[in-house]
Amino acid sequence: MFTPGSKYLIAITGLSAVSLALYMLLVHPSAIGAVALIGLLTATSLLTGITLFTRDGHASEGETSAATLDTPTSSMWPLVGAAGFTLLLVGTITTPIVFILGIVAMLAALIEWTVQAWSERGSGDIAYNASIRQRLLNPIEYPLLAAIGIAVIIFSFSRVMLAINKDAGALTFILAASAISLVGLLISVRPQLKKSIVLTIAVVAAVGLVGAGIASMGVGMRDELVVAGQEDHYAHKECGAERSEHFDKGVSKTISAKSGADATIELIDGKLTAHAQGIEGLQDSITVRRSNPINIIFRNKDAGEFRLSAYLGKTKVADGVSEDLVTCTQLLPQGGEQWLTFKIAKPSIAEGPYTLTIPGLEGQSIVVVVP
Amino acid sequence: MNHTKITSDGTTPVNRLAGVIGRLKPFILGTAGIVFLASCGTNSPQDTWKPKGPNAQKIDSLQKPVFAVAGIIGLIVAVAVTYSVIKFRDRGQPIPKQSHGNPALEITLTIIPALILAVVGVFTFRTVFDLNKTSDTQMIINVTGQQWWWEYDYPANNEYGITQPIITSGQLVIPVGTKVMLRETSRDVIHSYWIPALNGKRDAVPGRITINRLEADEPGIYAGQCTEFCGLSHANMRMEAVALSKEDFAKWVANQLKPYAAPAEGTLAKEGETVFLNQCTRCHQVNGLTRADGTPVIAAPDENVWSGAVPNLSHLMSRNTFAGAMFNLLTPECRKDVWKADSAAFGAKYLAGVSADCLNQSDLRGWLRNAPAKKPMYANPTQLAATGGKYRGMPNLGLSESDIEKLIAYLLTLK
Repeated sequence: MFTPGSKYLIAITGLSAVSLALYMLLVHPSAIGAVALIGLLTATSLLTGITLFTRDGHASEGETSAATLDTPTSSMWPLVGAAGFTLLLVGTITTPIVFILGIVAMLAALIEWTVQAWSERGSGDIAYNASIRQRLLNPIEYPLLAAIGIAVIIFSFSRVMLAINKDAGALTFILAASAISLVGLLISVRPQLKKSIVLTIAVVAAVGLVGAGIASMGVGMRDELVVAGQEDHYAHKECGAERSEHFDKGVSKTISAKSGADATIELIDGKLTAHAQGIEGLQDSITVRRSNPINIIFRNKDAGEFRLSAYLGKTKVADGVSEDLVTCTQLLPQGGEQWLTFKIAKPSIAEGPYTLTIPGLEGQSIVVVVP
Repeated sequence: MNHTKITSDGTTPVNRLAGVIGRLKPFILGTAGIVFLASCGTNSPQDTWKPKGPNAQKIDSLQKPVFAVAGIIGLIVAVAVTYSVIKFRDRGQPIPKQSHGNPALEITLTIIPALILAVVGVFTFRTVFDLNKTSDTQMIINVTGQQWWWEYDYPANNEYGITQPIITSGQLVIPVGTKVMLRETSRDVIHSYWIPALNGKRDAVPGRITINRLEADEPGIYAGQCTEFCGLSHANMRMEAVALSKEDFAKWVANQLKPYAAPAEGTLAKEGETVFLNQCTRCHQVNGLTRADGTPVIAAPDENVWSGAVPNLSHLMSRNTFAGAMFNLLTPECRKDVWKADSAAFGAKYLAGVSADCLNQSDLRGWLRNAPAKKPMYANPTQLAATGGKYRGMPNLGLSESDIEKLIAYLLTLK
């Protein structure tokens, strides 16, 4: 009675109903997503009813070779395909990752089910048919499963390393590497070791690692990484006391950043100098475009820690009240360099002169001219 | 063994194809003739085969031999294929003996193209490196693209008398025989700057500075066109490079640095200044323009326009174009007079700017009356949600004919 087609549609209908219930319960009972899932449920219910009523067009009574199986073997792939289709639809109204998982599941089901159905037409021998299927799919399945396994292990390990402190991380790394080496050594010197023992060690290690990874995700990243993430490399305006601890002071060492620099500002022997690409020699002013992001590289070549401060005019904070708009690099040690990006909306005649200065270093400034 | 398909009317597909080609022969020959004759046109300011400066000359010196080599090879291949198609076409004959593997022939046919490509590659790399040389730059101009016009600002350069930065748009003015470096970027999307007579194209990318070099041998106007699709009016994003003799360039600089001269009281232009203050200065800057209380007028395009910039109209009538060089400020006759002037007379004619007699009133009035109707832009006030209420072109300001009259009188004073 239940043909593969009707099984497929029953599965989709069931999962649609579950998805609808979950969505209405957890997200919103009357959101557009619920309407979409009700539509899906209605459509699949209708198709399921038709399929059951017509017995799937009596597909099982079609032409089959005497050598093939009378009835196909049981398969999980229709269910996986249905789940994938449901995930795909749910993903369109929830998050992209669910959508992608749906596509992956549907593709896997499509390939696996197609090959399985094809192999079952090979002969009347189930074992032989299974060997045909394995011969075709194992070269794809094993590397894929291995890659997924490695990815899970790396991801789990990385979560652990992000959760524990630096010193513990180094120790954990050494211990893990030593343990792997020891197990490898044991297997190589005792090749007659029981397969079940090796398998047990591998499973325990993998489960332990994945468990540790899940636990670490629950704990979250260590505090200094959370703080570093909150420092916001491109939006900080830290011109007073130094607060940032983890800001990337080598950010301008990337090629892409250098290729877009409007000018390089250097502090050498107590003097601030500017160099704009294509202009010979050093300048005491740079001309930049209005209403356009300006990229400056600041290099501190003097002993001590200095920051570059950019005065960008005034900003209105309340009616009749305005204050200086200033942005800065971090305090850079000798040899340090950092990227500073800012935008000036008004020409120099409005609120200028705009300047680049070093706090605490009198008499040194680069004028920023905005035509 | 006969492999030929015979259709119901007794003909073969090849014969039917030949019949179709025969009937289309007049059309094919006519089209080819039109294409050939079009290549003989002389009024083609963006012709890539007419270099007018050393950079474009380097490209030309490379592309002509490469084109010749590629053309000869293409011709040989086309003739060989055509010969084979006709000579060995299916007439029902048996399939000829198939042969595979002729190492000598295959190696020869691999080595010859490789050698040709290697030779082309050597000259190409040499040209590319030559074009990217910047160490001998004499002048720098910042070029900024935005939908759909180009802005040029000249940093101070005492050698050329630029004591203060100059800002202009539409027409890039450069001295002849001078190695000019364009530092290009964009305020919104990717554009591409190309004056075919002076150099190849170079993209202007937001957040990056790209370098392009121009140098003109002779005074004149060289036309260009944005060559990276950049939105609705990409095809209308044009530019012109104006090359002046060094003496004329100095005069142009001096004129650009001239302080603002307010129109005389009681004139139509003075009334136009008031209209300009009320309607245009929200976005357009005219350096030196002040309000009645003497405070300088600072336009705020960053508050009204998506790109954050609109053309600075200081000395507008010293240019020949407006609206992203889509329209001419000069009438066709006056424009022709400037474009066709010989090298000696060109500078004086260009520097004369736009007079009342030569003003292209038709396009300028139309622009002031309803700019979006003249140039496609996202300037419909009801469709600005995607840009946070900001325009991407000049909107229809709803000016009265009287205001337009006054504005034109005022704009004519901006020389």
